[in-house]
Amino acid sequence: MIFSKVKGVLADEVLDLPTQCPSSRTPPPPSPVTVQPPASSPLDFEVRLGIAGKVVKRYSFLIGDPLMVGLSFGEKNFIKGGIAHDLRTDGRKRLTYRPIFVETGVIPQASGSARVKMGATDVIASVKAELGKPNPSHPDKGKVSIYVDCSPTAEPTFEGRGGEELSTELSSALQRCLLGGKSGAGAGIDLSSLSIVEGKVCWDLYIDGLVVSSDGNVLDALGAAIKAALSNTAIPKVQVAANASSDEQPEVDVSDEEFLQFDTSGVGRHYIVDATTEEESQMSSAISVSINRQGRICGLTKRGGAGLDPSVILDMISVGKHVSEQLINKLDSEIAAAEACDEDNEMDS
Amino acid sequence: MRDLQLSLNKGQSVRLERALEQLESLSSKANSDASVTVADDISVNYEDAILKGHGTVEMDGRLVATLCGVVERVNKLVYVRALRARYKPEIGDIIVGRVIEVAPKRWRLEINFSQDAVLMLSSMNLPDGIQRRRTAIDELNMRSIFEESDVICAEVRGFQHDGCLHLQARSQKYGKLKKGQLLTIPPYLVKKRKQHFHYLDEYGIDVILGCNGFVWVGEHVETRDDMAEDLSNKSEPSSVKSLNTMSDDEAEETYTPPETRQNICRTANAIRVLSTLGFMITVEVVVEIVKLSISLNLDVHEMLGAEFYVLVAEKEAERRSLLTKRR
Amino acid sequence: MEYVNPEGLRLDGRRPMEMRQLRGEIGVVSKADGSAVFEMGNTKVIAAVYGPREVQNRSQQLNDQALVRCEYSMANFSTGDRMRKPKGDRRSTEISLVIRQTMEASILTHLMPRSQIDIFVQVLQADGGTRSACINAATLALADAGIPMRDLVTSCSAGYLNGTPLLDLNYVEDSAGGADVTVGILPKLDKVTLLQMDAKLQMDTFENVMQLAIEGCKAVASYIREILLDNTKQLEFRRGV
Repeated sequence: MIFSKVKGVLADEVLDLPTQCPSSRTPPPPSPVTVQPPASSPLDFEVRLGIAGKVVKRYSFLIGDPLMVGLSFGEKNFIKGGIAHDLRTDGRKRLTYRPIFVETGVIPQASGSARVKMGATDVIASVKAELGKPNPSHPDKGKVSIYVDCSPTAEPTFEGRGGEELSTELSSALQRCLLGGKSGAGAGIDLSSLSIVEGKVCWDLYIDGLVVSSDGNVLDALGAAIKAALSNTAIPKVQVAANASSDEQPEVDVSDEEFLQFDTSGVGRHYIVDATTEEESQMSSAISVSINRQGRICGLTKRGGAGLDPSVILDMISVGKHVSEQLINKLDSEIAAAEACDEDNEMDS
Repeated sequence: MRDLQLSLNKGQSVRLERALEQLESLSSKANSDASVTVADDISVNYEDAILKGHGTVEMDGRLVATLCGVVERVNKLVYVRALRARYKPEIGDIIVGRVIEVAPKRWRLEINFSQDAVLMLSSMNLPDGIQRRRTAIDELNMRSIFEESDVICAEVRGFQHDGCLHLQARSQKYGKLKKGQLLTIPPYLVKKRKQHFHYLDEYGIDVILGCNGFVWVGEHVETRDDMAEDLSNKSEPSSVKSLNTMSDDEAEETYTPPETRQNICRTANAIRVLSTLGFMITVEVVVEIVKLSISLNLDVHEMLGAEFYVLVAEKEAERRSLLTKRR
Repeated sequence: MEYVNPEGLRLDGRRPMEMRQLRGEIGVVSKADGSAVFEMGNTKVIAAVYGPREVQNRSQQLNDQALVRCEYSMANFSTGDRMRKPKGDRRSTEISLVIRQTMEASILTHLMPRSQIDIFVQVLQADGGTRSACINAATLALADAGIPMRDLVTSCSAGYLNGTPLLDLNYVEDSAGGADVTVGILPKLDKVTLLQMDAKLQMDTFENVMQLAIEGCKAVASYIREILLDNTKQLEFRRGV
């Protein structure tokens, strides 16, 4: 179909001319655009104190996708109402996760890798082990570093340096949960298992995450992907005396860590897990709790500016413990299935 | 073919494959050769005069496709009907869009087209319903009609001399959409029909299948006289504010009732499943899928599980085979 | 070092004129208007296309054609030795430019005036021939987004080592120091749109190597056409009437 372009002035355009009634002629009314500030700005920057007392810059997950310029009042209210009535827009209950899809061994060059999909969120994590020198202050420990990158394929605004802020936020949240304190105590990964010769050689573990597609709850997806990638990782056992690598490939010892992200809605009384992008755009604050298999908390991050009642936070953590049990089991079976599938493929090829 | 990204077990993938094979065999054989990809020759009889339509170019005396799609011939016109693509507007299409900017005398809307569409203040009925010139006061009050990020429904008016795509909303049925959710699906899955507004009275919900692939599923609104309401009640922004400051109990009362919400979410999930599978979306099919999920006693979120996808594919194969038999 | 053994086999067991395994998949990023994965052996690339949509930066708007933009990025884990490179280094900028120019030549930009098309390519694994894989992935993604094009663009590289022209170099062969010729063609129009070579070659050898790369591009083109046609048929029959 080809559109015929209408030429000439249309009747509507004539109607459109400013009226000549004297009341409105002086003074000319300013355009509405300049008078009122936009109802909601898509980016919402704020500065707040981080856990360790550092100033951390945060920003909300809502980024200016043309469709995501923001939600209308009706839609926001619908989302909030759904959370209040325990029936979210996609039919989930407040504490229901989206189906998780795990694939391991996606990056053959890495020591271990995994891809995790939750709805339209799609992330890849890879683990690479390299020989390095241990830190002089901890000669008996290896080193682990975590970096996350947000690909512009996920969101055009991540182009150039646009994704850096989110990448940093995700990296630091993961580091906090997996690497423990400065001394390395309480880390999710047993750093002493990475030591080869005390003070001389150790394994440096590089964990890289890549966000390929994002539809909310990227942090949980990354946590799950890192867990799957680590369980997929095999590091050759180096015997220094024999000066040769043996065939044994012990897996890296990792205590199980789970991330749970709770988003409190604007309503403030209810909280949800595994929020979609739309829901994240409505959350006033979020708490990410990392809980291990024993039900202990390994790390915690509160995001968003709105204040939360301490009792609500404690409540969220205890619910988190409960939900994480199910999630760990679900993830374990998914990882086992993915690994079996991976091995099948290897045998086939 | 695009991966559905479901974790199907062996039995489910066999069933899905079987259903899809059945669908393939049901599709009209005549059309199977009509699929072309970019740079494929389109066979035409050059002795007849032909009109080159969309998705074709002439290259060294041959007609060549510039899109992936299906060759359609209407009398002398030969064109390629694109499948997955952004929306291509046609005059009179009913669309759903989101306001992204309030500019002087106009709203700019995102409608999944290659440019933003424009809705002039003069292209819509004024809230008081009187035909008159737009005053500066009307212009100042534009935000009380639609503001940024509102979802609205309108009709394509056509390209105007300024090169922009213009919309119009000259009927009570058009206007702001509230209390519901917006879904986006590929526009080729929406069939152009006379009726795009659907009121499913048994569920008490409205479904608007916008030709641009934006689908609104929301609470039923009796008469679409929002515009009239808005002006007579200019305090709308303040009522919004009061809603925000309302106590939780009060706010809860304005929420969609749980039953209607369940129906909205069920319908939305039916549309999500159909669009992921790539099946044409009409209100009849959607209702059928909603009924299927109710008859199976499924929770709303279980509709997005692998098993339901397989069931929907089987149902669709069954439906289409019945349709061909009846013919 | 011997890159072709006396039996005429390369390090990875291929014959000199043999291409690595190709794999293409359409629709991997659900939110994008078009997306695809393209693999050439161990090289794996994701391309996502957003648009044609309203120009984000109004000053860049073109009134008679679409604005085409491209960004190339490499994942930290994509190379054998893990490196953390800053975004937008020279190499990425150059490849972004090459991809943009190559794709722009094929897109019928005049049909989408005042709009913007973004092509994002993300390298997941780099094992030689990333530029070729990126161009092939971008072609698939653009076709998936339903953007009108004059022709498909396909690309392949060829090199010259141990006195033998080799098709589709992998990383080891690429870094061996021999010539590396990357060619991009419009297969239907039979025109070369991209030609890059490093190192030096005899004039007549170059002709052979380039011809080999062009043959490679044609093989890629027929594979891409197959995928697209299969995808189109699937979409059509699933849609039904």
